Amino acid sequence: MTRRAEVGLIVAAALLAAIGVAIVEFTHGDWLGAQAALTFLAFVASFGGVHLAATRWAPGASSLVLPIASFISAIGFIEIYRLDRQLAALQRWSLLVAAAVSILLLWVIRNTGVAVLRKYRYVLLAAGFGFLLLPLLPDSWPMHGATISGSRLWVRIDIPGTSQVLSFQPGEVAKVLMTIFLASYLAERAEAMAVVRRRLGPFKFPEPRHLGPVVLAAGIAFLVLIYQRDLGASLLLFGIFIGMLYVATGRSFYVVAGGLLAAVAGFAAYSSFDHVQRRIEAWIDPFAHYQDAGYQTVQGLFAMGSGALTGSGIALGRPDLIPAAATDFIFAAVAEELGLAGSLAVLAGFGLLIAAGFGIAIRSRDRFRKYLAGGLTIVLGLQAIIILGGVLRLLPVTGITLPFMSYGGSSLLANMAILALLLRVSHEERL
Amino acid sequence: MNVPLRRAAYAILGAFVILIGTVTYIQAVEGPNLRDDPLNPRVVAWRTGRQRGPIVSSDGTLLAVSTASTNDPKLYERRYPEGDLYAHSVGFTSVLFGSRGVERTRSSDLVSNRDSTISGVLNGLLGGDTNPRGVRLTLAHALQEVAAEALGDQKGSIIALDPTTGAILAMVSYPRFDPNSLIGSDAGTAGEALESDPDEPLRDRGIDQTYPPGSVYKVITTASGLDTGLVSPSSEFADPVALELPGSNSTIQNFNGKVCNNGTAVELAFAFVKSCNTVFAQLGMDLGGNQLGFTSQAFGYNQEVPFEFSVLPSVFPPPSTIEDDPPATAQNAIGQRDNRSTPLLMAMTAGAVANGGSIMIPFLVEEVFTSVGSVEQHANPKKWRRAMSPASAAVLSDLMEQVVISGTGRKAAVPGIRIAGKTGTAQVTGKAPHAWFIGFGPLGATVDSPQIAIAVVVESGGDFGESATGGSVAAPIAQKVLSAFFGIAETG
Repeated sequence: MTRRAEVGLIVAAALLAAIGVAIVEFTHGDWLGAQAALTFLAFVASFGGVHLAATRWAPGASSLVLPIASFISAIGFIEIYRLDRQLAALQRWSLLVAAAVSILLLWVIRNTGVAVLRKYRYVLLAAGFGFLLLPLLPDSWPMHGATISGSRLWVRIDIPGTSQVLSFQPGEVAKVLMTIFLASYLAERAEAMAVVRRRLGPFKFPEPRHLGPVVLAAGIAFLVLIYQRDLGASLLLFGIFIGMLYVATGRSFYVVAGGLLAAVAGFAAYSSFDHVQRRIEAWIDPFAHYQDAGYQTVQGLFAMGSGALTGSGIALGRPDLIPAAATDFIFAAVAEELGLAGSLAVLAGFGLLIAAGFGIAIRSRDRFRKYLAGGLTIVLGLQAIIILGGVLRLLPVTGITLPFMSYGGSSLLANMAILALLLRVSHEERL
Repeated sequence: MNVPLRRAAYAILGAFVILIGTVTYIQAVEGPNLRDDPLNPRVVAWRTGRQRGPIVSSDGTLLAVSTASTNDPKLYERRYPEGDLYAHSVGFTSVLFGSRGVERTRSSDLVSNRDSTISGVLNGLLGGDTNPRGVRLTLAHALQEVAAEALGDQKGSIIALDPTTGAILAMVSYPRFDPNSLIGSDAGTAGEALESDPDEPLRDRGIDQTYPPGSVYKVITTASGLDTGLVSPSSEFADPVALELPGSNSTIQNFNGKVCNNGTAVELAFAFVKSCNTVFAQLGMDLGGNQLGFTSQAFGYNQEVPFEFSVLPSVFPPPSTIEDDPPATAQNAIGQRDNRSTPLLMAMTAGAVANGGSIMIPFLVEEVFTSVGSVEQHANPKKWRRAMSPASAAVLSDLMEQVVISGTGRKAAVPGIRIAGKTGTAQVTGKAPHAWFIGFGPLGATVDSPQIAIAVVVESGGDFGESATGGSVAAPIAQKVLSAFFGIAETG
């Protein structure tokens, strides 16, 4: 695909977002122009900006990822705009900021390439841990954690002299930092870790000292689960560790061991925490827990069912009835208003984006770049699977965002950074 | 080195295949069940939360109005300023109990057609009117108020219509309910109380309840006799104290248990005015169950009445069940036994006499108008069926006028206006009788001059109980409504 086609597709996605906004405005009986134009400009400026930066500093980059991401973002944005115009206005700013950060990232590594990240891997790891622990800051501090719907995932900064609060979800950034660290660590250690000499029954397993990272992964995930009460984030972190270990070593032992550990930890969590127990019970039979824990799931199912094949039409359904429709349950909202047609388009978009990401990883000649691209793609894929599985009742509901679609600045920032890194990795294979 | 990467890719993309399968199942297979699930507030909430157009009476009183919700400016709240007066006709639209009445039947006109369909968007862009339409009913608020007051708190129904067009002028059923109570925070308890109320306030007794018509049915028996040429007003009948019914031990007596005239002979006209059962039971047997069934059908019995709402069909027993059963024929001929009719059909029966034998299709919606007031659809009166010949109708009209002048319907008389009518006192085993009156007016030089036809039924005698008759209970109610219609002060 040519660069020109990429520009065309990005403009098409921007146009899609603008038309969606115009339809929402129209359905509410308002004038069609201003908001649609602003949306068009924001999409062109952000995705077009990243595209221009890539053309300049990573000219060999894949031209697949940006159009797909812009398309998914456009669908998500229309639905956010339909649900809450103020959120949408914030999301538009977030998109611009996230794009600016991506452009900055591409500029910073313009000469050194992604390899420079290897040098700072322990700094990145420390930063990752730091970000993960930030929400635990006491409430009385100027920068403090915040508990939202039972999960302590948020950090708020009181802006001095005003009543305004800047809030973000550091876990989103942490997942990217952790992935960079793991890619770098595994690029050096994978071969040693792939050696499996010891045997226990039918299983082969490596030297105990190589098990360290796995235990560490489980430990951190469990800690997040306990202190931040968040099933989604811990599942995602754990999945990234296990997934990258497997990709780097090719040993299914890590997947089996990870699965066993997850099962044990999950059972322990189920038996010791009420909120986990309620989630699981609501997952098994949401209709029996309609009044409390199952409410969100059931509303999501009602929304998707009411959408049927072609949907109610933008702004003509009632996705506002679903709790957290603009964030965790954005997919159910889209499914209601755009129907199965819209659902499949979104899932196809994610499938293409993930396939493109794995393609970049597979084509990479360098271990680090391979693990980096693979890991970042796994992050996107796993995150989408965890939240979509929750919405579709294949998994217990967890509160994480759907990449590029959910409302949320931190999520957008992290995922746009992932795009920038993927673009750069794909460029470096053509050097 | 790429093998595990590929496997990871397959695993993740495989998970997406499962997601695609699941969402397809949820939306395409389970979709309708989830959409219609009673717990799903979606469809009704959306329908009721949208702006709806106004519903007004023919004389311009606002009957239903939408105002922006105080909680959520995107949503609207429906109000019914006249409370329970239009409970059955205007109906309601509520989150918990769905919708009824014109609110249901005209929903597509009453909601905004601003939507995201291609035609909706094009229409909006081309400057078309996307605002909800308003609906003007045929009901006259002034008449509706008088009718409700005249019926008071007696169970029953009043239906008044224009016999020449079929327009319903007043439609009252008691007990009623306040549709406003089904909206808002107490709607759940209010609605459940209504649904479990043994008096069934949700039922529109005018169209959704049948009663034995009693002597008002004699209008149809007489029409049958006149139309077939079997009798004329001057035809003579025997005048026994009790008419013995062949093949049985039972008899039919007149209301007061006496002879109708002099004990030897009585003319049909005289018997009609006095409403003598013996004569019409005999006429019914002379006509036979087959012929009576045929005439009943011509008047709309055993038929779906085309109307804004579904109307319970009135029932005349099938000829095969009564043709060889003269006692049954005799009892059905005087509106008893298995004979059941709705107040609406009886109002239409009076209308048929008033309108030269033709029944018009009854209608409730006069017009649908746009937000700027221009009329978009207008009711188009149509003839439904021919009940009898114009000649028979003219004869019946004279007979019915005599009922009001000198017979059982004297209490329906309106000073200065020629009114025709027929009373009925329908016996019900173990209960007080239902009091009936049907009539029309004004009579004039031409057959189509009557402007109003009316049916009144008061269940189980109303305030009069066992001692109630159509003439004492229902006729005075009709008189009040007719007086109001003709703008004449009540005589008391």
